[in-house]
Amino acid sequence: MAVSRKALKALSGVYGVTHRQPLFFPSKLGCSAILSTRSVFERDYRRPGQPPDTRWPWQKIHFDFSKGVEGIKKHIGLLKDEFVQRWTGPEGRPLLEHMLEQTRVQWEFRGPESLDQWVVSSDQEIGGHSVAYTKLGKNNTTCFLYGSLCSTPPRDGETRYSGYCTLRSKQPLASFDRKKTYDWSSFNTLHMRIRGDGRPWMVNVSAETFFSHQRDDIYSYFLYTRGGPYWQDVKIPFSKFFLSSRGRIQDNQHVLWLDKVKSIGFTLGDKADGPFQLEIDFIGLCNDLAHTEEFAYELYKRNPEV
Amino acid sequence: MPEFGVERDIAIYNKLLDVFPKEVFVPQNFIQRMFNHYPRQQECGVQLLEQMENYGITPNVETKVLLAQIFGEKSHPMRKYQRIMYWFPRFKHTNPFPVPHVLPSDPVELARFSLTRIADDPDAKVTIYQYPSTDITETGQEVTRPHILGIQSPDQRSLLAKHNPCRPVYVEGPFPLWLRKTCVHYFLLKADPIPPEEKVEEDFDRELIGPEQSLFYPQRVELDLERDIGDDESFSVDDVEEGLVYAMCMAGQGDQATLSQWISGLQETCPILGQIPTVFRLESGPRELQTSSDAQQTPEQEVEIDQIIEDEPQRSQRVNQ
Repeated sequence: MAVSRKALKALSGVYGVTHRQPLFFPSKLGCSAILSTRSVFERDYRRPGQPPDTRWPWQKIHFDFSKGVEGIKKHIGLLKDEFVQRWTGPEGRPLLEHMLEQTRVQWEFRGPESLDQWVVSSDQEIGGHSVAYTKLGKNNTTCFLYGSLCSTPPRDGETRYSGYCTLRSKQPLASFDRKKTYDWSSFNTLHMRIRGDGRPWMVNVSAETFFSHQRDDIYSYFLYTRGGPYWQDVKIPFSKFFLSSRGRIQDNQHVLWLDKVKSIGFTLGDKADGPFQLEIDFIGLCNDLAHTEEFAYELYKRNPEV
Repeated sequence: MPEFGVERDIAIYNKLLDVFPKEVFVPQNFIQRMFNHYPRQQECGVQLLEQMENYGITPNVETKVLLAQIFGEKSHPMRKYQRIMYWFPRFKHTNPFPVPHVLPSDPVELARFSLTRIADDPDAKVTIYQYPSTDITETGQEVTRPHILGIQSPDQRSLLAKHNPCRPVYVEGPFPLWLRKTCVHYFLLKADPIPPEEKVEEDFDRELIGPEQSLFYPQRVELDLERDIGDDESFSVDDVEEGLVYAMCMAGQGDQATLSQWISGLQETCPILGQIPTVFRLESGPRELQTSSDAQQTPEQEVEIDQIIEDEPQRSQRVNQ
């Protein structure tokens, strides 16, 4: 039986979850990084046709006084919360709840401010023609992601494939815009309630990394929707997520570490042009005690050197 | 390759690989092995394998033999082949709702397949209300009748029988359903969620509880014996208020006449539809599933509903919105 669209996407391209990432490695760099003869690897995606960014580091900082008093108030309020919340427990939740909880609802869409935590992007950043929007569903209770895909590649001579859209959560920020991470170490399964239209999506989780080479590391897995008017409960254990970087699945796999998770994202890139829609009710975490698998893929060295 | 329609044929890929000369690109000594031997040709080989991977075709042993003869054992195309052979078998059967590559070309069979796919219930039955046909009337005009297939499960039928005739049911659609590259549309017969003040708590059937049941002890014991007392796997989220879906259908054309035929066909199994006013909420483009009516639509509907209730209840009344 032939493989589904999403499976082959895993090998050829896990979709760019930030607007800066290209969907596929541009052909100028060769079909794989090993064969490329470039001396400088650019850190961010540079849209073909634009000159490279040659500013000095001090020219890239820009001060902004327009944030004003509200910004100061907000950040000082958050800072005060951080000091005060320690007395009730980690992250403001009581210690017993933190220790004994077995399910946690991480994102639920009840009200317009829940959509502010999410970023929608499509291949318009690389010059494609897909569009993607989010809105709140009926009664302001669900996130409705809709739009239309178009897989004609942009005519810049470099990009070979196109036609994707993503919905990614923003990294949580502490006071003064410091980055914070989620701690999901007491859970092992991702539970989502979604209603799709039969298209195969992909869930991407990105974790905090140490080295700069790892900045585009994403752990992904497929999210198959059934379509139809009924809600679908999807449970994906974290041991199934495989590692990919910049869209290429990696040879050296390891399990996703749950103690510092930055964000989660959904991406669609099956090569079917046309409208799509996905409705998400909530995203939660649970601890499935029956699931004892640590990692689904082999850890030994599979491509020994010559 | 898509122009010739052969992109899914593994034999064609093998023939293309056969074009490469054998033994020429295989590195002979350690210096050739260190430096990328014939890099452009290796890139070409990798591109071919990448296209195979894009279309989801698993290479076979002939591909491996060809790659070994052309590029050698430790070349980039061979490495890519090894990666494909590692990951493809893992992801081949991960889809819990698989769609075959070759979909039925007959629209009736396609509709039947997709309706059984979206209906959650294995007990649901598909009924064909009309086959596609083309007739020529006396005036010489061609009348094409589209196919109409409906699906309803016994649970939905019993829920529809309990539906309050004062509230209307809505025919909504068309909603998109994607099967690989084809998009089909389906329509729903559903009711709005009942506002909490009108909800009726159903008393459980006295017959289900035996005569030994004591009046002092709770008649229903909510005990899940597979879980510990402290374990709670529910999420603290309010359930989204949704109306009930009573039936689904797929039709060749999405206009009101075709859907009215569906409703009248459905009435044979659910006679209560004759008393319930049916409101059509049809839109041309794909849209989300809506349960509560929008603010603009509510005043119009209420006016029309009042008019319907005054009419005779024998025939099923259809109201245009």
